[in-house]
Amino acid sequence: MSVPVAETKTGAARVGIGGPVGSGKTALVEQLIPRFAKRRTRLAVITNDLVTKEDAERLQKSGLIDPERVVAVEAGACPHTVIREDPTLNLDAAEMLELRFAPLDLVLLESGGDNLASTFSLELVDYWMFVIDVAGGGDIPRKRGPGVLQSDVLIINKSDLAPHVGVDLEQMIREAEAVRGGKPVVVTNCRTGEGIDRVVEYIAHDVLFDG
Amino acid sequence: MPGAPMVEQDDLLLSLQMADSAFPSGGFAFSWGLETLKADGHVCDGGGVYAFAHAQLRWRWASSDRVFLRRAADLEALDALVALDREVEAMTLAKEMRDGSCRSGRALLRAHAALGSRDVAQYRKAIAEGRALGHLPVAQAVAWRAAGMTADAMEAVSAYTLVAGIGQAAVRLALMGPLEAQVMLTRLRPEISRLLAQALPDQPHAFVPMAEIAVMRHETGDARLFAN
Repeated sequence: MSVPVAETKTGAARVGIGGPVGSGKTALVEQLIPRFAKRRTRLAVITNDLVTKEDAERLQKSGLIDPERVVAVEAGACPHTVIREDPTLNLDAAEMLELRFAPLDLVLLESGGDNLASTFSLELVDYWMFVIDVAGGGDIPRKRGPGVLQSDVLIINKSDLAPHVGVDLEQMIREAEAVRGGKPVVVTNCRTGEGIDRVVEYIAHDVLFDG
Repeated sequence: MPGAPMVEQDDLLLSLQMADSAFPSGGFAFSWGLETLKADGHVCDGGGVYAFAHAQLRWRWASSDRVFLRRAADLEALDALVALDREVEAMTLAKEMRDGSCRSGRALLRAHAALGSRDVAQYRKAIAEGRALGHLPVAQAVAWRAAGMTADAMEAVSAYTLVAGIGQAAVRLALMGPLEAQVMLTRLRPEISRLLAQALPDQPHAFVPMAEIAVMRHETGDARLFAN
């Protein structure tokens, strides 16, 4: 039995992007932005930079999106807390973006990057993706971290590096699919864009109910 | 408290819930200058954190935030609350102090919105419309009055959460461990009680120049674990 919360969420859909440091979350966002722009999806981005504003500034300077639509929310050295135990600062940032840029269809929320234990609260996002990369180790899926198990989409990035880091990519994919019980696993190369269209399709279908 | 009237127990439980660091209010992301004071070498250890916390309590919270909180707690009319909110804005010098106060105030109100208060919803609407700003002392008064707290309890929780938050920030900045932070809180509790017993100043005023300069320097600093 769930306890009813008085104020329910309305407005833009929110999609969280989590995963370990360096797995390619910002690169994924950089690939998603132009694809959603092409679909005329009205977009804003929140980043939870851990120490610097580097991720937010990278997106703001990229030319891919109006820099005013990219907002950095500091996590006070608590990247899990700001997306899970206490997401009120991220909720506030999303509400401020919606007020400023209404109407908005989609807010992407990039986590600060920490470890395999991070998960998004569904009070903050409607849907979330977890990005791991092959250079982080082929054994990550079978470690069954909450991010790997619970995310709506698991993204295995940097597919091109597998042979260079001794990872059997096919085995990694099989193990990911097995531990996730059939929930989506998408292999990507966020530098070249390989696999990104499939990620967009999942968001468009499952979240935006568009296509 | 065995045998205590039900009302007292309810009030105690309410204050415990509101003061709990697990209550989502965004407070964990603010260091109120401590991050930069450490980066600049002015605060290096638990003794420095204690001095910082004491100054924040004595020369900012007790003389300014407490005054605004109490005034807001006595106001019912929305226009009057908005005017007070604007006064806090005018009296807060450093940009990241103003931003931090508004962001943490809005985050607190966001959490309280989930508890279903009409007054909280009305104030959040005033913020969304650009009339109000959501400065923390005013937000605390609006949220906590809606929750059923007395003004005295509001003051105690406001002071306590400020100092506890500084302790938590200090732990994450590796300035002290969590046990030392509890020792600091234990030493500061009598000071909080003493300040709560004092008469309210006639006019709000604050003077924590090193912390304020640190908050200003934080705007252009490289390291940003915290929002201020």
